[in-house]
Amino acid sequence: MIRTCRMGWAAALGLAVIGVPACKKKEAPAPPAEAAAPAPAPAPPAFAVLAIEVGKGIGADKRVTAPGTTFGRRDTIYASVATEGAAPSKTISAKWTYQDGQVIKQQAETIAPTGPAATEFHISKPKAWPVGKYKVEIAVDSAPAGSKDFEVK
Amino acid sequence: MPDNKEPKADFSDVEGGSSSTAPPAARTHTVVKGDTLSKLAKQYYGSAGQWKRIYEANKDVIENPDLIYPGQTIKIPEA
Repeated sequence: MIRTCRMGWAAALGLAVIGVPACKKKEAPAPPAEAAAPAPAPAPPAFAVLAIEVGKGIGADKRVTAPGTTFGRRDTIYASVATEGAAPSKTISAKWTYQDGQVIKQQAETIAPTGPAATEFHISKPKAWPVGKYKVEIAVDSAPAGSKDFEVK
Repeated sequence: MPDNKEPKADFSDVEGGSSSTAPPAARTHTVVKGDTLSKLAKQYYGSAGQWKRIYEANKDVIENPDLIYPGQTIKIPEA
């Protein structure tokens, strides 16, 4: 009997503790915010060259895997041009020159980018590169977009 | 009198290539001596009569369709 009473009190106390917050009046949920008019889609960024890198290897993403500016005489030399922006047609060109001003090679790639992209150019020389200083100049639609110096040792 | 000039480095065997993650817009052609728009149209489209397609795509660099210059890079629209 005493035991039953104790349990009854405990149960009552427990209900009371639980009951207090249960009795609190629920706040009305905030009215849903009015649907705002959809913001206009941001204009795609204008086409621009972000970076030019040279190195000895290229990945599937057309980015230089290990950028560097010193090459061996038998290396294939890669130049990667990272760009952003969309355009119906952009011609990216690379002009490779030797320290004496000789033009070694000129290349061009005409692309229709829809966003970030990478374009690579590469040169190799079966009879080995003469040691010395070289440069690759990048242009977009014939306008200079940057250059990179490198050396063959 | 000895000639102290170093021989010019020879780059005649240089090979190269290019590629991009972006889709190609059109092919390009670097004009060499003897090229004409009709000749290029014949080469790329199989018909000299389509020279105007090339001209239209390159109006920014070709002022007169009868005059193109060696070294000029011109776009060749997709066939």
